[in-house]
Amino acid sequence: MKEKKITGTLIWYYFICKREVWLIARNLEPDQDDTNITIGRFIQENSYDRDKKEVSLGNIKIDIMRRGDGQLVVGEVKKSSKFQESARMQLLFYLSELKSAGLEAKGVLMFPREKRREEVELTPDTEKQLEQTIKDILRIMYMEVPPKVEKIPFCKNCGYREMCYS
Amino acid sequence: MKKNIYIFNDGQIRRKDNTVYFETEEGKKFLPIEDINDIFVFGELELNKRFLELTSQKEITIHFFNYYGYYIGSYYPREHLNSGYMTLKQSEHYLDIEKRLAIARAFVRGSGKNIQNVLRYYINRGKDLEDISTQIENLIGKTDNCCDSSELMGIEGNMRDYYYKGFDTIIDNEDFVFNNRSRKPPRNELNALISFGNSLLYTLILSEIYKTHLDPRIGYLHTTNFRRFTLNLDIAEIFKPIIIDRLIFTLIGKKMITKNDFERDMGGILLKERGKKVFIQEFDNRLKTTIRHRKLGREVSYRRLIRLELYKLEKHLIGEEEYKPYISRW
Repeated sequence: MKEKKITGTLIWYYFICKREVWLIARNLEPDQDDTNITIGRFIQENSYDRDKKEVSLGNIKIDIMRRGDGQLVVGEVKKSSKFQESARMQLLFYLSELKSAGLEAKGVLMFPREKRREEVELTPDTEKQLEQTIKDILRIMYMEVPPKVEKIPFCKNCGYREMCYS
Repeated sequence: MKKNIYIFNDGQIRRKDNTVYFETEEGKKFLPIEDINDIFVFGELELNKRFLELTSQKEITIHFFNYYGYYIGSYYPREHLNSGYMTLKQSEHYLDIEKRLAIARAFVRGSGKNIQNVLRYYINRGKDLEDISTQIENLIGKTDNCCDSSELMGIEGNMRDYYYKGFDTIIDNEDFVFNNRSRKPPRNELNALISFGNSLLYTLILSEIYKTHLDPRIGYLHTTNFRRFTLNLDIAEIFKPIIIDRLIFTLIGKKMITKNDFERDMGGILLKERGKKVFIQEFDNRLKTTIRHRKLGREVSYRRLIRLELYKLEKHLIGEEEYKPYISRW
């Protein structure tokens, strides 16, 4: 079996719902008719038109990449800052992947709807945090059956809602 | 909620300004693409590749029916939800005889229970259907001892035979007698309605399967041969009694469709255009009708109920939760 690869999306979901990590890892995408997912797709497709979008580097997919002040800037676009911790770790993961490929980059979280952004940086502390996260994600991915449904506030707006509660 | 588009008029359908443009002799119309679930085509339609590219991109399935209302086929866009894992699980449950039987049995039992609920409704209204209901009950019991899917198909067939015997009692209209089930072509009005309704349901379920990770070619009750869709036929067994059969009883009972809505052609009986339109209107209404879903804790439409059924099947295949068919409350 091919070794399972960590992706930014998995990191993002890890901090929201562990069950979602398991599902996503098996390519079991959420309901594409779900309103929130449609909105997300629209924001993704229609924001920041001037930048180069969706750059794929190995197993990571970067929303936005640009050069600013002679430095490489990597941007991650989110619908809202509600899950800032998730977004931060996701971006840290990209920065760390780039770093191992020999690329130093600066990270910016972007919330176009809120007209807000936040800078993110790799430090020994954040790198350690990231490592722990990745370890636990791998543990979940290799589970035989998905983690049990846990009712959390996120369920209300989740594209897996009907799958979990059917 | 997205809509089903039903096209009866002859005309041209095209892509224009990134949306759908439909032109007939009577007029022109834009159909907002984001609002379309799937398209059912009954009229003569001209279309081109650019249009199919647009519908594929938007993951819209197009179902075609011929002049007689028979299902021809579907334009089923390239699979967009691919999970190798789910395909393997689906195959595993097909190849393992015991696993396959477990799912096939659930479909037949679900079908039987829903048939019984329809019968119960009419028994409570004074119709003499007790004997038939008992026979169905016996057949449901027999599913436990079945050891292959063709045996289960046989039971399912027997259930339908008994159930259809009750149609005359339920409908009680000499213009619509059952006689026996005849398909291609249907030999009387009632058979024509059943055939038409079932093909609508099969195609609708196909559209829903498209929006999940399941492969419609791998069915459990109906034998898979990898050349045609079978999973939609399986799922349809659960919903035929509660969607199509109840619909037929309503249409005839309220005289929304009468004997004049049929014509004789090629040795068979066919529903005329007005009849088809009325049927589809009611079908569409039924799909939009909502019921309270206990586990979800909110109202869901019948169409959504079909999707939930597919999710339940996915959870069964994953090994998370045993599949239990949807049983209606009446």
